[in-house]
Amino acid sequence: MNKYITAYYDDEEDLLRGLKQIKAKGIEVADVLTPFPVHGLDKALGMSRSKLTRVAFAGGAVGAIIGFGFQAWVFTQAYPLNFGGKPFFAVPSFIPVTFEMAVLFAAFSMVFAFLISNKIGPGAKTVIHDERITDDRFLLVVNVQDEENAHTIEAVLNDAGAHGITLIKKN
Amino acid sequence: MENLTFILKKKTVTIFLVMIAVGVLSLAYGFLGGVEVKRVAANLLLNNYYFLSLGLIGLFFVTVHTIAESGWQTSVQRVGEAMSAYIPVGGGLLLLFFVLGGLHSIYPWTHSDHLDAILLKKVAYLNVPFFYVRLLVFIGVWSLLAHYVRKASVNLDLHGDMKYFNKMRTLSAIFIVTYAVTSVVSSWDWLMSLDPHWFSTLYGWYIFSSMLASGFAMLILVIYVLKRMGYLSHVNDEHMHDLGKYLFGFSIFWAYLWFSQYMLIWYANIPEETIYYLERHKYFTNIFYVNLILNFVIPFFLLMTRKSKRVFTVLVPVSVIVIIGHWVDLYMAIMPGAVGGEASGIGIVEIGLTIGYLGIFGLVTFWSLTKAPLAPKNHPYYKESMDYHTHY
Amino acid sequence: MYVSPLREPLIRGSKDYSQVTKDILAPMAGKPSKYWYMGITLSGAAALFGAWATFMTVYYGIGTWGLNKTVGWAWDITNFVWWVGIGHAGTFISAILLLFRQKWRTSINRSAEAMTLIAIACAGFFPLIHMGRLLLGFFILPYPNTRALWVNFNSPLLWDVFAITTYLLVSLVFWYIGLIPDLGTVRDKASNKIRKAIYGFLSFGWTGSAKHWSRHETVSLILAGLAAPLVLSVHTIVSFDFATSVIPGWHTTIFPPYFVSGAVFSGFAMVLTLLIVTRKALNLEEYITVGHIENMNKVIIITGSIVGIAYITEFFMAWYSGVEYEQYAFINRATGPYAWAYWIMMTCNVITPQLFWFKKIRTNLVATFIISIFVNIGMWFERFVIVVTSLHRDYLPSSWVMYKPTIVEIGLYVGTLGLFFTLFLLFIRVFPVIAIAEVKSVLKSSGDNKKDSHHE
Repeated sequence: MNKYITAYYDDEEDLLRGLKQIKAKGIEVADVLTPFPVHGLDKALGMSRSKLTRVAFAGGAVGAIIGFGFQAWVFTQAYPLNFGGKPFFAVPSFIPVTFEMAVLFAAFSMVFAFLISNKIGPGAKTVIHDERITDDRFLLVVNVQDEENAHTIEAVLNDAGAHGITLIKKN
Repeated sequence: MENLTFILKKKTVTIFLVMIAVGVLSLAYGFLGGVEVKRVAANLLLNNYYFLSLGLIGLFFVTVHTIAESGWQTSVQRVGEAMSAYIPVGGGLLLLFFVLGGLHSIYPWTHSDHLDAILLKKVAYLNVPFFYVRLLVFIGVWSLLAHYVRKASVNLDLHGDMKYFNKMRTLSAIFIVTYAVTSVVSSWDWLMSLDPHWFSTLYGWYIFSSMLASGFAMLILVIYVLKRMGYLSHVNDEHMHDLGKYLFGFSIFWAYLWFSQYMLIWYANIPEETIYYLERHKYFTNIFYVNLILNFVIPFFLLMTRKSKRVFTVLVPVSVIVIIGHWVDLYMAIMPGAVGGEASGIGIVEIGLTIGYLGIFGLVTFWSLTKAPLAPKNHPYYKESMDYHTHY
Repeated sequence: MYVSPLREPLIRGSKDYSQVTKDILAPMAGKPSKYWYMGITLSGAAALFGAWATFMTVYYGIGTWGLNKTVGWAWDITNFVWWVGIGHAGTFISAILLLFRQKWRTSINRSAEAMTLIAIACAGFFPLIHMGRLLLGFFILPYPNTRALWVNFNSPLLWDVFAITTYLLVSLVFWYIGLIPDLGTVRDKASNKIRKAIYGFLSFGWTGSAKHWSRHETVSLILAGLAAPLVLSVHTIVSFDFATSVIPGWHTTIFPPYFVSGAVFSGFAMVLTLLIVTRKALNLEEYITVGHIENMNKVIIITGSIVGIAYITEFFMAWYSGVEYEQYAFINRATGPYAWAYWIMMTCNVITPQLFWFKKIRTNLVATFIISIFVNIGMWFERFVIVVTSLHRDYLPSSWVMYKPTIVEIGLYVGTLGLFFTLFLLFIRVFPVIAIAEVKSVLKSSGDNKKDSHHE
């Protein structure tokens, strides 16, 4: 069924308590939306640690290799020149640019991965369930299979202290 | 229920005494076994300096976190305090070393009868009486401040009166300012003047960064040993994570200062400066690179991930490597100037004496741990440390 | 996590989440006050002065400046280093204070980071304008060309290109990523359609989803971990511009960490100058409290003292080295024709920050404001003294000259001041000045309605 239920809390501690209850009753929570990152929410929803750190490391390694490799190529193969008696393969000189390239690539690769994995970006079309999510509301979204399912879910949410329980059709 | 009283078992004392015996035997071997006197003297200097500095970093740890009004460190604060108990001992041993002939054996500028033109220019600073005056001031001030900071900390716990916390804050500020100046000047006196023709404005901070990294490594190791013995049950992953971050960060900071000093001297290529690195790179080539691997490459790659800083299986080996690494760094600071490439090496004297000093350091530290409850329950921020969990 | 009740609250006024939103969005609504208009008129005028000076430089050339053969760098590079230094506080507050888990950063990091970006822009202007033939400026980039020539990777001036560019881009990205959720707030509270559309676009469709937040926190932490060494590296590389040379007063190994400390020192002073006014003008005193000001002043004592120790070290080492050129460089600084600049520097940098040892002064806003201005004056003179006194008299006495700035050089500097304040005034109208989501995340633990947040 193309429907889902939303409900909200006014406080993150109520949210976490309610979430525990809801999950204990076996209800799958599709998403939780909050005005700020709530500590403990990751664990409560069973989310795994972000893999963005690996992207950053890979990006940094690539940046460092490109930075160092390019400088080394320029100064030993492409156009070696004598600068103040320094050797062509001037390792100490290469370090600053290598470091900067590593940081630049690490940062940008991770940020792009972040935007892509979240599917957000300039011109992204996302669903804003409630305009008060970015203000002071903590919203739950639960997918609904059929009519009966909807009623059960609504009852559980009510018991768990959620407000504004609404059935919405996806479009 | 947490075990707050540390009991120094006979077995532990025995281990330390055996280590000290090894040190004494190595020293005897050094004098009687045909080892170059300068080499023995240089090793005594190295160990004296290293362990004294580790004690000072213990105090630095306590004082910096006190004036930063932080709370998480209180669960491990006593370990830092215990390390600082070594300061008067280390200072005394260092003084003894200098007085009993160490000063004249390896410091060229002490031979006032044949000073060259360059050394004559520095004689107002590099002369034996003024050297001793400075030495006594450093050791005196450090020992006094260590004593009073510790006293205030213990009193705070005994009486719970906030006036002791304020005292700790004031003393901490005094120590940090004093240490900032004295650590730099003492490194000029005791290490840089081994190569008296050479100079570097960064030197004091560079040596300090080396001691900072190894000091935190030692802190981690002592905490590990205590936890293995069943103490410090409130110290959790979060505390270790913070200490691991420090170890990681300070190792990178050390590498940054190492590179800054090296690259700038390499780049300008001024002979009176480059000779310092030439001697090191030419006659101690392998150790030159091992220094970088132990102190930067290994901690950088092994402590990068979040997990690595939270588990002893990584923290302990890396801490050991960093402690050995900064011993090597001091070796590179001392041996070329004091002894030279020909007569130096890594043998019985080097290893034995280090074990000996580690024994003294360990004995003093563990003895100090018995003198106060392991957790400062009356510290105003202790509850934050007991209940310590963060999100990241 | 338990927070001791001894700690001063970071947010006053018993706020709840929606009040936080309202308070921080308020300065962006309605018409700007008359003070805002006065401010932007002044800064705009200064920027125009700079525009004129830029035209003069580009059209007539570097001859309109006071530079000569001996003193090849003066106001241009002094200003460059001064602005880059100021930028460092923003990154320090965002990145390094994040790594140290200092919650008090949450109400100051947004404006500090914005200040950084503007400061970097002002800084970058100087190396560009001092090229003379600005239209050939792209030569500094390593691109394949018909001359088969590459840039000189041995030169710290080139390392600067990479460092400043990286710093600008990474700071921009760090600032913007942090801004995205708050832009979502502005979008959702927007009253008219156009505003909603614009902020909708700028917020990248932010929904507040838990998975997004989780990734956002990871990205912020990693960016902080990258930005921290980055900020150290940038001013280090700037210091390499001088330290890699062979002249006394420039070639000294302490420059890298000394420059970095000095940068954080002057940067925090500028943050203080800006925020003391901003918090009053925008009614944000309950978020940027006296406690925040006091903490920033503590950073100023620390970094100011490090700078002071560096001065003493340099001075001592000049004597200790026995090198008469090095010794003369310092004697000349203190007693030569630019001694007035040297003593302004010493008074402002060494003496004034030590006043913050006294709690009464640290918590006094007027005193802080005045001292912050002196610190920035002092740090400008520090760069001037380093650059000009070392150049005007080095090894060869027959090359010794004096340097005086021309109205064009002064115009360029005043112009960047104008640009800086203009952009900052625009920033406070267009973006939320405080990190809304971050402040909310510490409201429970550190606001004045403190509770134990036991969630596990």
